[in-house]
Amino acid sequence: MATFIERAKSTCALGGAIVTLTSLPKTIPIVHASGGCSTMLSGTFSQASGYKGTGYCGGHMTPTSNIVEKNIVFGGEERLEEQIAHTIKVIDGDLYFVVTGCQVEIIGDDAVGIARRFKGGKEPVLAANTPGFAGNAFKGYELVLSTLAAEFIEYKAVKDERTVNILGVMPGQDVFCRGNIREIKRLLNQLGLKVNTFFGDGETIEKIRHYGDASLTLVFSEKYGLETAKVFEEKHHIPYLCVDLPIGETRTDAFLQKVGERLGISPPAIAALIAEEKAYYYSYLERFLDIYGDIDLQRYAIVSADLNYAFPLISFLADDLGWVPHLVVINDQLDDLAKKKYELKFNQLSSEAKPKVVFEQHAGQLLKHIRESWPHNKNEKYYNALSPAFLVGSSLEASTAQKIGAAFLPVSFPVTNRAVLDRGYTGYKGGLTLAEDLISALVSNR
Amino acid sequence: MSKLTEGLTYHYLSAEEPPTREERIEACYAFGGSCSTLKTGMGKGCTKFNSRKFAQGGGCQLTLALGIVRTFQNVVVIIHGPLGCGSNNLGIAGYSKTSRILKQKKASDNIWLHTNLDENDVISGGLEKLREAVLYAEREYRPDAIVIGNSCTPGIIGDDIDGLLDELSGQVAAKIVPVHCEGFKSKFVATGYDSAYHGLLRKLVDPVKRYERTIPDEVADAAEKDIYSKTVNLLNVGSTSYGDEVELSRLLTALGLNVRVMPLYASIDEISRMGEAALNVSICATHDDYLIGHLKERFGTEYIIDTLPIGIKNTNQWLRAIAKFFKLEDEVEKLIAIETAQLKEALEPFKKTLQGKTVFVGGGETRIFTTAEFFQSLGMEVLGLKSHNFDRFAVPLIDDIDDPEAVVAVAPGQPAEELVILNRVRPDLYVGHTGAHTWVTKLGIPTIPLFGQSFNYMGYSGAFELARKAVKKLQNTTFARKISAHVPLPFRPAWYESNPFDNIKEAEA
Repeated sequence: MATFIERAKSTCALGGAIVTLTSLPKTIPIVHASGGCSTMLSGTFSQASGYKGTGYCGGHMTPTSNIVEKNIVFGGEERLEEQIAHTIKVIDGDLYFVVTGCQVEIIGDDAVGIARRFKGGKEPVLAANTPGFAGNAFKGYELVLSTLAAEFIEYKAVKDERTVNILGVMPGQDVFCRGNIREIKRLLNQLGLKVNTFFGDGETIEKIRHYGDASLTLVFSEKYGLETAKVFEEKHHIPYLCVDLPIGETRTDAFLQKVGERLGISPPAIAALIAEEKAYYYSYLERFLDIYGDIDLQRYAIVSADLNYAFPLISFLADDLGWVPHLVVINDQLDDLAKKKYELKFNQLSSEAKPKVVFEQHAGQLLKHIRESWPHNKNEKYYNALSPAFLVGSSLEASTAQKIGAAFLPVSFPVTNRAVLDRGYTGYKGGLTLAEDLISALVSNR
Repeated sequence: MSKLTEGLTYHYLSAEEPPTREERIEACYAFGGSCSTLKTGMGKGCTKFNSRKFAQGGGCQLTLALGIVRTFQNVVVIIHGPLGCGSNNLGIAGYSKTSRILKQKKASDNIWLHTNLDENDVISGGLEKLREAVLYAEREYRPDAIVIGNSCTPGIIGDDIDGLLDELSGQVAAKIVPVHCEGFKSKFVATGYDSAYHGLLRKLVDPVKRYERTIPDEVADAAEKDIYSKTVNLLNVGSTSYGDEVELSRLLTALGLNVRVMPLYASIDEISRMGEAALNVSICATHDDYLIGHLKERFGTEYIIDTLPIGIKNTNQWLRAIAKFFKLEDEVEKLIAIETAQLKEALEPFKKTLQGKTVFVGGGETRIFTTAEFFQSLGMEVLGLKSHNFDRFAVPLIDDIDDPEAVVAVAPGQPAEELVILNRVRPDLYVGHTGAHTWVTKLGIPTIPLFGQSFNYMGYSGAFELARKAVKKLQNTTFARKISAHVPLPFRPAWYESNPFDNIKEAEA
């Protein structure tokens, strides 16, 4: 059972559904809920995800049934029907998608049924039940994408062996979503694959309709995107493969090999791509060597992030940058079996030292975990301190970094002290970008 | 007393929650017309139940209520609801910290918890999680107060949070403050201010205990009395910057008054002593009539609730109202004479740029009229206003706008109607609320913010700053033009051709 959470690094299912919809090409969310939900939830991501903004039709622009107490008593279905009809009249979209808030789900409005009345019109109208109490933002992402997979994406009996769908890189919740998708797509294109991304550059609703011809779904998460991947498996007979977010050289090597192997791409072709990309990667990473050595930029690394980022980040810091992986705090809820499986990942790290791994939903507990991870200074003359340290987390961890005297870079959601446009951390190029950002944080006062 | 609050009553504190603004104040939520028709519309009182065929995102009273309580020093806020309610905390945490730094307070983090209600809780209630959350807040943070914001879900399923919180208040050192701000209950987000202040009034403002002096000291007694007789609470709001507070305090101090700025960013101790003042002074009636009305009922403290001190005319009016209370009419005229003479001279160079330019102002209600009036006084033409809601507090301000045919749109958020108007009237400058700038920029119109944590817009120094900002913006309007050429708005072409106010459904009177 879920507990209360201190400073949850997420929002509710409706919030996740809205940010997913506003990130799909020319898609119009219609929010059946109280008037405040759409703006506030949209605002959560438009600010806290590196100022990503509201998109084509988010924020105050979001169409919403705006139900009030009267509707709670008498039902809000009529109001929703009126709202859908007028939204199609006023707003120019390629897809209209009704999502619901707590209020209307508790009273039992049939939003999906109302949306069905618009079937057969010129514009597709879909709906999903996404009340806030259904779960966190990832749940909303799943509910929207699995509805698309089940009801909108056409079934194709013949699959294209060289086409993959990607899931698990969620808009908003992954602050670098579009940049991350871009580099994953570029690398897979190099292997001769066509990549369906939902949210990446150049996507359209018409293209999404034909995602059914993929032969594999790649899920960049151990948890998020799996529900949708399973719908693709059941309805479209497309199997899926879970992979780690490929941040930097080590993880990208592993990623390309895993995907190549699964799709039967010839090993020499994979080796050639890796060799070429690595040559590029090290020709740039080499530029840091003077400053890295001259002032010793090796750090004790502490990571506080969600499931998708935690392992890939510490792997980058340990395997690519040679930092000492000290502590990983994962702000996610997992069952015991999933926890065990996740913990085992850390054995892959090439460093001599392995990090302590903690699952903790309360963001405010990080400082306590750091203190517990290292012997206290009992006023010894010779104290081996946890220093120099570097904390990679979200902007909520800024003051913790300050308290322990660590350098700091927010990467995981929420990020409010950086502005992010097309930046991404995936692939070899993304690894270089992340290295730039980390080292910049260390030399910014020079 | 004030004309603005005539006929309103403040006797709600025995109830667990305040009435909504719909019940308490005649207010308008959907209207399209002009300054003159708005006046008649309000007079008839028929606009209260208007609604829309096509509605867009507005606000949630929970967001506004949390906007007040999260600023108090050393508090933990618990949102009793799913993870979404108040999740904009994630975006605002850094902003709050910056505000604390700017206001010379301790740079502490906002601490908030969600009870994280799920499907099981919807069926069996979420009180157990709320209990755990309160005990966690007490144990981990030792706050001065724990404020609980109640959301729609427990509101509908009927969690008796007050019963539980009464029980817990005996077990924790922190003061426990329930705030009933369920979003579905009111279309008028300003109800959220009343909800927050209802909690504050019930749980945080304590009548001050007086003790006899051990050694009698008549001089000290007289000095104390003298200070109280000149003490004013300057009631700040979420959109007042530190610069605003310094400027308004400077003016009141110049009249010999002792100024305390509260309740936002104040400590729980300071709030508990709110009753120790000769006068409560409002900056914005929309925010705090509920608070000062009840402070009057409770402590007999008189209040001034008049205009919002933006621009020369309204700053003068605001100061005169306060001075009149303290019988400082001569002094205030001297102050106004000096200040306005200096300011008018300083504004001269800006007037050259602004003269003849057109402006459209969007935002809350009182601030848009006073801001528009100020730009008008600099020679700009006010083409229209867009108000998030409209009620008795802004009615007297309508007459400040020279052109009775200037457009007025009343809509909380909901940019669709406003953007059609803006596309037609094409002002040289748009002054607007947060959340509006994206859309107006996409239309190609340069914008400046209506308020901001680091801008001083109030008082005389604020007038200078506001003019300076408008002039700066007009020195380069390229950005909006470029964006508008390349980034589309989501409307169908026919929407721009329609009468946007046909979207409003008039209630039968």
